[in-house]
Amino acid sequence: MSVTSMWTCHWARRRIQRYLDADPAAPLTFEEVHRLEVHLATCDRCTALTDEYRGVRQALIGWSTRRYPHPAALARLRVAAEQIMSEDAG
Amino acid sequence: MASSSASRQDVFRTHVEPEIEVLLRVGQTLTGSWADGEDLVQETLIRAWTAIDRFDGAHPRAWLLTILRNAHLNSLRRQRPDLTDDTASFDRARPAFGATAPPGPEQTVIDRALDEDLERAVARLDEKFRTVLLLIDVDLLTYTEAAELLGIPVGTVMSRLSRARDRVRLQLRATGALPTTATTGRTGSLAQRKR
Repeated sequence: MSVTSMWTCHWARRRIQRYLDADPAAPLTFEEVHRLEVHLATCDRCTALTDEYRGVRQALIGWSTRRYPHPAALARLRVAAEQIMSEDAG
Repeated sequence: MASSSASRQDVFRTHVEPEIEVLLRVGQTLTGSWADGEDLVQETLIRAWTAIDRFDGAHPRAWLLTILRNAHLNSLRRQRPDLTDDTASFDRARPAFGATAPPGPEQTVIDRALDEDLERAVARLDEKFRTVLLLIDVDLLTYTEAAELLGIPVGTVMSRLSRARDRVRLQLRATGALPTTATTGRTGSLAQRKR
């Protein structure tokens, strides 16, 4: 692997998580996205790393979709919210 | 913003009540238990109602998370007066599972195997890394919301999140849930199991 491609991999790896998250507080520029996607199209190592990050994120998001607060707890809190308002109004 | 009782109630119903579920998830992540999380959200609702006149109507979730954070810190200070303002330094955040949606039988087996690997990997993280990981990837907060909640800069959230994911990724790879080499370009067994 040449120094240039090593440097490109290093540059890419520092941005993969931001690329996957697309969080509004830390967006990649259009140029960064383009450069990263071009690199991922040609680099198996960085593509594999991206797949791993994506897999970890999907697994954790899977927790989110299956981990619901108990409906009774939500109902109690909604009742509490109504009581807070009505006591103040009364 | 709101002056009359009716309009205060309108603001509360419009901006606060829809966020109760998110607040409860985050409360559970911060406290480590659904019951304590529920108490924390109840305290947050009381404080939010008291402050509703000062709420400008923008970014209700961020406003509520700040209230929740302050309520949580006050609760912690009562227990530990030496506590810093970084709630991630508190060590009770744990992955936990409450009532779940009913998955199919095959998905149940897959999820259970994956959850065991994943839960072990997450549990091994240092508290400050685990808390950020849970807030972003499980409670689905943005970087900014997590930063405001924890009282730390966005850059610190990103740094902790990156390190947390890296450690979980390497742990899962070591247990065979991910490929042992990153040279094939193939999607690992973890992703395949999630399909």
